[in-house]
Amino acid sequence: MIVAGLMPQAEFVHWWFATGFLMLGLVLLAEALVGPEVWRKRAWRPYVWPSLCFAMGIFMWPVMTFFTNSAIHMVAHGSWAEVLMLCGAAELGVARGKLHSQYWRLTSSLALIVSGTAFLVHEQNAWMFSRAAFLHHTLGWTALICAVFPFVLAFRPRSLVAATGFATFFVLLAVLLYCDRDVAPIFGHFSQFAGVPHR
Amino acid sequence: MRRALLVVVFLALAVPGAAFAHASLKTETPSFGEELKVSPRRVVLQFDQTVDALPRGIQVLTPGGKNLAGKPYVITAQRQLVASLPKLPRGPYTIRWQALSNDGHIVSGVYTFGVGVPAPPVTAAVGAQGPTGTEDVVRWLYFVALALLVGGLGFRLLILRGQPLPARAERRFFWVTGIGVVAILQVGIVAFLLRGEDMLQLPFSLFIYGDLSPLANGTRYGEAFIAMTLGFALTAAALYLAWLVERRWLLWLAFALGLVFASGLSLSGHSAADPPHSWLSELADYAHLTAAMLWVGGLVSMIVVVWHGAPELRRTAFLRFSRMATVLVAVLLAAGTYLSILRLPHVSDLWTTGYGQVLLVKLSLVALALLWGAAHHFLAAPRLAAGDGGTLFSRLGRSMLGESAVAMAVLLVAAVLVDSKPPPQPAPRAPVAAHDSRR
Repeated sequence: MIVAGLMPQAEFVHWWFATGFLMLGLVLLAEALVGPEVWRKRAWRPYVWPSLCFAMGIFMWPVMTFFTNSAIHMVAHGSWAEVLMLCGAAELGVARGKLHSQYWRLTSSLALIVSGTAFLVHEQNAWMFSRAAFLHHTLGWTALICAVFPFVLAFRPRSLVAATGFATFFVLLAVLLYCDRDVAPIFGHFSQFAGVPHR
Repeated sequence: MRRALLVVVFLALAVPGAAFAHASLKTETPSFGEELKVSPRRVVLQFDQTVDALPRGIQVLTPGGKNLAGKPYVITAQRQLVASLPKLPRGPYTIRWQALSNDGHIVSGVYTFGVGVPAPPVTAAVGAQGPTGTEDVVRWLYFVALALLVGGLGFRLLILRGQPLPARAERRFFWVTGIGVVAILQVGIVAFLLRGEDMLQLPFSLFIYGDLSPLANGTRYGEAFIAMTLGFALTAAALYLAWLVERRWLLWLAFALGLVFASGLSLSGHSAADPPHSWLSELADYAHLTAAMLWVGGLVSMIVVVWHGAPELRRTAFLRFSRMATVLVAVLLAAGTYLSILRLPHVSDLWTTGYGQVLLVKLSLVALALLWGAAHHFLAAPRLAAGDGGTLFSRLGRSMLGESAVAMAVLLVAAVLVDSKPPPQPAPRAPVAAHDSRR
């Protein structure tokens, strides 16, 4: 009961994670813009985005366990927690020098594929007039398409296009998560065909 | 300027709009597990979004399965699903509900309440079923995973204390414990979903939108699931960081977290829920569980990490493990005997009840494993201590593999036992009334 009283609203939680993804995207964008040589002049910098990713994975677990009002949401949040931790762990291992193969970068690609699939599977509506359906489809397909960027980075680590695309994905993800409200001016309730607005 | 920016960001986050996806149940009357003094006049389910009523949207079921609820309808801007009730006689009731969410999905749920009596747990709702064979296997996998993590860490920190491990063995150690902690998280989620399926009894297409919050928040099992999932996620992080930065204290942290959160099983199982339970029965269950995990996990680690990863440490590790196993077996037997006596009030329950029969199978397997361990302790250990080696090592490797196979079988039977219902306890003798004693 005490826990139920302290539970934040779902949109708050989405916005907190949106803030985390925005920071992640901006760090990656900065690295892409200045280049790896300049970025690594400070020894701590290569650890920033993997640590953030790993920490967000840990923070996703409470979301899974405390929001159990739908089995599929629980599974989706669990899968995001796992891939965020996996992706952060692999990148931290590479940054620390414990993992040597550049192909560990493929875990980022895998994380985006799993995340995108989870978004699409847990919103099965074909129509996209309502905010929830539109957002889920947009998030899902964006993650799936953008999985190509870390895939390219695993083979061509110096690709500016792939690095920028990967960074931009997180910024876009943050924007879409910030839009998590029916009365939002963008991505709100699209059409009366979808019935009355939820809120 | 920086402060103003922080205030703006805080305000932006603090002023909410609305939520994501399907309709969720926000409040309900009667509430989950409520014990009412008088019969409620209606059931009211309040959702966070608009919903439409379905023909059998609210069922209020008696223990015999008879539905007493009237036809459901929606009110208050389509956010409340309501059904009227006749005057309910004293007894436990189950509410099964379904509503058409505004996004087109059917959301469903179940919970219990009582009129003049305590509400039964939601896992005992009308129509719910007990654990299945699949759940026995899943619980076994959970035990194995727990043994790999806790036993593996215990082996590294207690048996191999002060021993620098070669890189190959160190890698094997992290593989064993890493697989353990990842499996604990995965299998734990599967187990929770299966338990939810038992409770909701819905086809898969509806189950995926089923409300599991009464199970998560209204039962000991659900609370243990939440605590253990969060705890083992932290354990995974500590274990990973121990590998990354090579700090021993992080391994101790992971070991401590593993030991603490494994207690969730003891605090939500028979020893905590079924009479006669007490803090002593919970402690005995925890001691039994921990000793078993350290023994089985230690045995697996001995084979995988030392026997194949660090042959130069075989003698030291075997002799130390042999000494520790003696203590573990003593704890295992003492706690197991106490719990058996507690749960089986009569000796005949061992062969006349299903629970007793499973326990007999488990005892037989434990006896076999103990005999195997005793052979190692009394025959092999003295020879190793005297400096014998060579072919003994290869024979011991094969022998320990056999012992671990028996230990895995013990865990499987233990999983079946945990999912079985112990026989009912004899009713306490009624106090003799004063007027009776005078007769």
